[in-house]
Amino acid sequence: MGRSRKIKAILSKVGLDGHDRGVKVVAHLMREAGMEVVYLGMYQMPEGIVQAALEEDADIIGVSYLSGEHLVYTPLLVEEMKKKGLSDVLLLVGGVIPPEDIPALKRMGVHEVFVAGTLTQKIVRYINENVRELGRDSLVLEQRPEPLASSSDALC
Amino acid sequence: MNTGAQGPDIGTACVDWDEYLKAYYEKPTSTRTWSGYEVKEYYTPQDLAAQNYDEHIANPGSYPFTRGIHQNMFRGRYWTRREVIGMGSPSDTHQRVKLLLEHGTSGLNTISDITYEMGLDADHPWAQNEVGLTGVNISHIRDMEVLTKGVPLDKVSWSLITASPVAAVTMAQYVAVAQKRGYDISQLKGSIQNDPIHFRYCGFRPACPLELSIRLGCDVMEFCTRQMPKWYYTTVNMYDLREQGITAPQEVAFGFGIAMIYIDELLRRGLGVDEFAPRLTFYVSCHIDIFEEIAKIRAARRLWARMMRERYGAKDPRSMQFRFAVHTAGCSLVPQQPLNNLLRVAYEALAAVLAGVQSLHCCSYDEPICLPTEKGHLQALRTQQILAYETGVCNVADPLGGSYYVESLTDKMEEEIVKILQEMDAMGGMEQAIRTEWLDRKLELEAIERQKELERGERLVVGVNIFTSQPETETPLGVQRIPTESARAQIEETKALKASRDQKKLRESIERLREDALEGRNLLPAMIQATKAYATTGEIMGTVREAMGYPYDPMGVLGNPFK
Repeated sequence: MGRSRKIKAILSKVGLDGHDRGVKVVAHLMREAGMEVVYLGMYQMPEGIVQAALEEDADIIGVSYLSGEHLVYTPLLVEEMKKKGLSDVLLLVGGVIPPEDIPALKRMGVHEVFVAGTLTQKIVRYINENVRELGRDSLVLEQRPEPLASSSDALC
Repeated sequence: MNTGAQGPDIGTACVDWDEYLKAYYEKPTSTRTWSGYEVKEYYTPQDLAAQNYDEHIANPGSYPFTRGIHQNMFRGRYWTRREVIGMGSPSDTHQRVKLLLEHGTSGLNTISDITYEMGLDADHPWAQNEVGLTGVNISHIRDMEVLTKGVPLDKVSWSLITASPVAAVTMAQYVAVAQKRGYDISQLKGSIQNDPIHFRYCGFRPACPLELSIRLGCDVMEFCTRQMPKWYYTTVNMYDLREQGITAPQEVAFGFGIAMIYIDELLRRGLGVDEFAPRLTFYVSCHIDIFEEIAKIRAARRLWARMMRERYGAKDPRSMQFRFAVHTAGCSLVPQQPLNNLLRVAYEALAAVLAGVQSLHCCSYDEPICLPTEKGHLQALRTQQILAYETGVCNVADPLGGSYYVESLTDKMEEEIVKILQEMDAMGGMEQAIRTEWLDRKLELEAIERQKELERGERLVVGVNIFTSQPETETPLGVQRIPTESARAQIEETKALKASRDQKKLRESIERLREDALEGRNLLPAMIQATKAYATTGEIMGTVREAMGYPYDPMGVLGNPFK
């Protein structure tokens, strides 16, 4: 398994939602798990997120929603990804998401949803099993990676 | 399959009896408090031996108020049962306020949405997708009129939750409506959150530059102190900081640090400490470790009393009383097995009441899933009512006072809070801790540490890393959907209002506001006048921001339309 580089992820908040504790913790712990993570921060719009993914040649886009805006921005994000030809990039969603909305998000094109309270192992495992073939070294999973998870984050 | 007279098959064939035996003999893996302090097997009078009761603890209602700020506590009056409400348009929020009033809520409590906290009108390009998603946007005086329609403002106690510098506009809008309706504002009761400094840590940094935060925050405090003596002009929000993942002592120390910035500024403006301090309040978290939370609050009360007397020379006992509302810890709730949250909230609310809370918001069980549903909201209110009316917890003030453990833990909390305060003093106070981003780093490191503890299984949460089950596919009491049509209507109304105002009056009021901002005068009078002239939230904030050297629009999209 001769992968040439680390798995690379773009993580971001979308719109005005400022609940960023969870996504920052996830970014940190994904790095500890051996991935390269670019956290774009708050106040990002779908165009900017997809542009960043394109420029960084990212394998994953992960967005965090905690203010009920997931149904508003996700379709825009998916559309933008299609427009820019990012069909093999994993789109992951985390945060405060009602279970009732998960099927709809998946129908839109989200690959997986990790609600608050999800433990890291699950996210890392999912990424390793589903990320596009990179032709690069896979993560050394025998060394149990420092886990990461999205956190429950109350409304400020 | 064994059914019938034996009852349903409980599937004993699947039980792993070795696991059962392990569970039977299982003991806790940790004896640390939530914040990580090791505690002893038991406590004895020896642990209290060094204490002088009258100086250190004292009776409820007596300095240093360790045991509560009232002698008779809830015998005098129940705590205020306030549930936070805010969603959709002002009219939608008004409807939910009415619903909870019909079911016995005793304090009104409305929360702003992200767009409003940021200072954006409903028709701002960044706001249009998000108006009403997490609270209510008050773009102009008519929105405030709709929100408060039919409510006797001289009778109710209204808690307005706007935390950012926009709190000054909220206050102006509330006062403007009250005056238009003929109320004497000196008689109005209620509170405004108005803690812009802490709000930079809640995702609102573009709206909360430090100078603007101190200026407008203290303008509200000064205005209310002089004009609205019954109004609580700030609720220093240590709860939001705690939600970032910090420990109980850090919560209090950081909250006190922020409060001292406001106090220093009010003193600088020439107010006497006993003029304003009796109306300063706090918003405190009650997390899941019952005793630690109670000890934290008792320690905060004692420490606050001493600080106000010794550091600030307060003479009026009311200036020394740590008054606080509690928000049960949203971050302790998880979407896995969501009904468990009802129990978490109940324990946290119990801790708040045992600690002598003044006003309580119980989280809805569905907080980690969506905005509260009607049923979730009502259940949170019922949790409070069961506590108040059924459990007997209101009979005696500070029922845990004198407990060897609780008194010891109170001392421990105090000691830890003092250590952090001294560390901050040594670096030049909280203002420096903020400017150097010391506080940012603290918050981030602690958040990561809490998550790692969870991942390593050192911290247990049912449904997350112990007693887990299949992911939920539906929410037990349904999901709250935000009525987007009414938010759409609000956007259109805002546009229509902007097109139909008396431009001359509007421009005059904006010009006065700009001058007052430049001259360093208190901005509330000019904001009230501008509000009455139908200036919008975005216009008022933009004018002040620009006069103080910040971009008119925090999102950097709109220019100043008055130029």
